[in-house]
Amino acid sequence: MKRYELLKELAKLVTDQDLVITSIGGVKPEWYSLMPGNGTMFADLLGCATPFSLGVALNLPHRRVIALDTDGGMLFNLGALCTVGKEAPPNLTIIVLDNERYEGVVGSPATHTASGRMDLERIAAAAGISSTGTVKTTENFAALAATMLSDGQTGLMVAKIEPGIFRDVPPDRVKESDGIEDKYRFMRHIEQLEKISIRPRYARE
Amino acid sequence: MEPRLASLVLQGLKEAHVKFVVGLPDSMLAGVYAAAEKDPEIRYVGVTNEAEGASIAAGAWITGGRSVLVMENSGLRAACEALSRLGLVNGIPVTMLMGYRGDLGERFHWGVNHGITMEPILNALRIPYWIIDREDQIIPAVKRAVLHGISSLYHNAVIFRTPLVDEGK
Repeated sequence: MKRYELLKELAKLVTDQDLVITSIGGVKPEWYSLMPGNGTMFADLLGCATPFSLGVALNLPHRRVIALDTDGGMLFNLGALCTVGKEAPPNLTIIVLDNERYEGVVGSPATHTASGRMDLERIAAAAGISSTGTVKTTENFAALAATMLSDGQTGLMVAKIEPGIFRDVPPDRVKESDGIEDKYRFMRHIEQLEKISIRPRYARE
Repeated sequence: MEPRLASLVLQGLKEAHVKFVVGLPDSMLAGVYAAAEKDPEIRYVGVTNEAEGASIAAGAWITGGRSVLVMENSGLRAACEALSRLGLVNGIPVTMLMGYRGDLGERFHWGVNHGITMEPILNALRIPYWIIDREDQIIPAVKRAVLHGISSLYHNAVIFRTPLVDEGK
């Protein structure tokens, strides 16, 4: 299963009322090319996309929040799964894009998930996350994602994907913004969506 | 921190419209975690390490839920990776409340290193901070730190020194 094909299926399920948080890595340009709107925070966090998403989900319990995390990111900070399990936000779905590689590194060295002896899904379940699953095909991904986004439970899905980054993004769908612009776009989007002021022009006591 | 002083911290947070206290408990600010957990106006989120805590606080903050991260100053070291990315890449602020372990006069050998590393790390990350040791400083320092996060879109810290904090047994 290629990540881009999986993300295309996810894009069919995500509405303009949902919020998506990405990890670092190839998922950022691919997801942007499919969903260039402002409902995604293209976070630049290593091992912290899931806890960042937890903060979003706890603050906006009426919104579906989707974390697009990775095997490398998840392994960097496994304790975060225990906090997710303890807090159990019903509006949070974590999708672990597991290519069993540190893909951004020269030579794409293997992560621990490549050993076949560890299982992120079972770790998540043991951490108290109520809805978990592992998928290896696009069809199964689409079905499980649809379930997890509508079942009112904290969800974590491990999606086993092939290494590789989609390179044929149309020129008008290439992500060129930096982290600061990404932040402002997401923050202003939330302000409009929630009809709130997060950063007023003049902060007052 | 005794309950009376911890209640002043909570009062400052509420006056600054803080909704989330994210924390990894330590002895110095023990009263603050306990008070936050009990307070119906505050959502307390306990974490497993401070990098995770900074990220949860940032996720809440950027979606309109004002937040602070409460921890021992040793947690600053664990939080560095997330703080660097959140602050320097995205400009999403995390206001931190810390006890000053390793201050001059530290009683425990294991705490000395926390004091040695705290200010150099804060300075390396260009994080402004206030070190307070008087009761009348608590509410204004907490409120102004939260305010400064909004205006600067960058991290800051309030560091509580004895006699405001308990040194532990």
